[in-house]
Amino acid sequence: MSSPAARRAQLEALVEAQSATRANPPLLLPADPYFDLAGEEFGRRLMLTTATTGQEYCLRPEYTLPIVTDYIANGVGQPAAFSYFGPIFRQRQDGPAEFEQAGLELLAQPDGDIALHQVLTFARAALDLYAVSAPAIRLGGVGLFETLLAQLDMPDPWRPRIRQRFGHTEALERLLTRLAVAPTLERSPQPAREALLTEITEQMVDAGLSLSEGRTPDEIASRYLEQQALDAELVPAATLALLRDYLAISGPALQALTRIEQLALRHGLDLAAPLRALRRHLDELGTVADVSFDGSFSPRLDYYTGVVFEVVGQDGQALVSGGQYDRLLERLGAAAPIAASGCAVWVDRLEAECVR
Amino acid sequence: MSELTLAVPSKGRLEELTRDWFAQNGLTITRPGGPRSYLGALEGHPNVTVRFFPAGEIARELIRGNIDLGVTGTDLIHETAETGPQSVAFAKPLGFGNADVVVAVPAPWIDVTHMHDLADVASDFRSRHGRWLRVATKYITITRQHFARAGIAEYRIVESLGATEAAPASGVADIIVDITSTGSTLTANALRVLEDGVMLKSQANLIVSRTANWTPERRRRLEALLHQLNASIAL
Repeated sequence: MSSPAARRAQLEALVEAQSATRANPPLLLPADPYFDLAGEEFGRRLMLTTATTGQEYCLRPEYTLPIVTDYIANGVGQPAAFSYFGPIFRQRQDGPAEFEQAGLELLAQPDGDIALHQVLTFARAALDLYAVSAPAIRLGGVGLFETLLAQLDMPDPWRPRIRQRFGHTEALERLLTRLAVAPTLERSPQPAREALLTEITEQMVDAGLSLSEGRTPDEIASRYLEQQALDAELVPAATLALLRDYLAISGPALQALTRIEQLALRHGLDLAAPLRALRRHLDELGTVADVSFDGSFSPRLDYYTGVVFEVVGQDGQALVSGGQYDRLLERLGAAAPIAASGCAVWVDRLEAECVR
Repeated sequence: MSELTLAVPSKGRLEELTRDWFAQNGLTITRPGGPRSYLGALEGHPNVTVRFFPAGEIARELIRGNIDLGVTGTDLIHETAETGPQSVAFAKPLGFGNADVVVAVPAPWIDVTHMHDLADVASDFRSRHGRWLRVATKYITITRQHFARAGIAEYRIVESLGATEAAPASGVADIIVDITSTGSTLTANALRVLEDGVMLKSQANLIVSRTANWTPERRRRLEALLHQLNASIAL
């Protein structure tokens, strides 16, 4: 027999037992770093307040950013582990809300796979406390997709455009559809680069635009010419079909990974390293959990790398989400990418799942 | 309280056109205290109180349910709250106050003609310029919703409450989201609307609050009034 308070106390003990520094960042944080890192899409969910100086602050919406910022400020390099448990605040459709989140952040660990394993173990233990004994875990392969994309036959400029839309199913679908249809409009012959530069510069000067503050004439001309070249040089239909096949792979993880292996074999792609990493985590998760893999699953933030995961409750909401984000520290000011992995546990959702 | 509150734009062309429209439907809105008064009446409907409000406040009060029905722009309902459109019922478009909320880029950006071009430009803007692509607008809610739908996440909004069209030239922002009826202000400022850049087509609407307290009696009164105005809603 356990009560919500007892479960909470056990989770607290689990967080304490992670041989990690207990992090307790301020409740009131500057809002700008969140907008800088995650853009307006995340920004709309912040609980904002404005200081008399005009500076914007927000109530802590999550823990990772202040923890990592603090770590960087104290000098990077040493492996570090942080755990946390406390309230966060977000805007929701039906108004502002306070939630509890617990989690783990492992930074600069020598082996990223072992770190992720530790994160997954923590997540499983938290789920066990709330009697979610056969959780539905969804795995995604950001590293796998990047490895695949790098080897596909297509003009290079399309690669970042496709990568940028990975994780946004509709936007990616629109791009692939657009790539499948050769533009029918009559193209005028390519203007000479010099003439184009002169024309754009004149237009910008006439419009009173700065030639250096934002997009430069050179940047506009380059993208224009590239765009024209790209319209002529389409992505091969076979590549598009392969991409679609890959993105559609979704289901029980073992079967999904086998299908990806077959796909790689058929098309002569080398996906061995990222597949190996995924398989290792799959073995560690064992057969208890219902683990699926979804080729198109990725958080929409470009600092995620490697393997990402989420545990979904019965109503489709994430109970735990996490993964590897080796590009995060660099984005926040570190000189080079630093291995990072972690997860956040939605305590209120776990409690709701438990009493269900 | 069984009276109905009808909110009407308090000044300018919008007030005039609204009163004309009611008159065409046989209803005269009176403003006994003159243009400085904020209280009016609807002739022949003693149970309707007319209040004169700025159009933006009409949208806000309709969403909150503090007024029962009113005339304001579609854009203001969408902008005032994410839940705005669900909180009201559009009873009738009135055929005036037409304007589009659009995405416009500097005309010299010849490589950017569609939203997908903007997504490309936004995605590597930060690595090229050390800052996010900046969008000047007063339509923050609408911009966030539509950019999210277009898969554009890498940008920052700069709130602009007036002369938004000047933002790119003054260096405050790179592009704008603004309202336009003829597009001439945009053209004059060397801005070009993207081919799929119309986010919302707006016009003045007769709008009923869903969140107001609709007792059976008040609902009967509302339906009678709407009937006279050739309008109808599903609350």
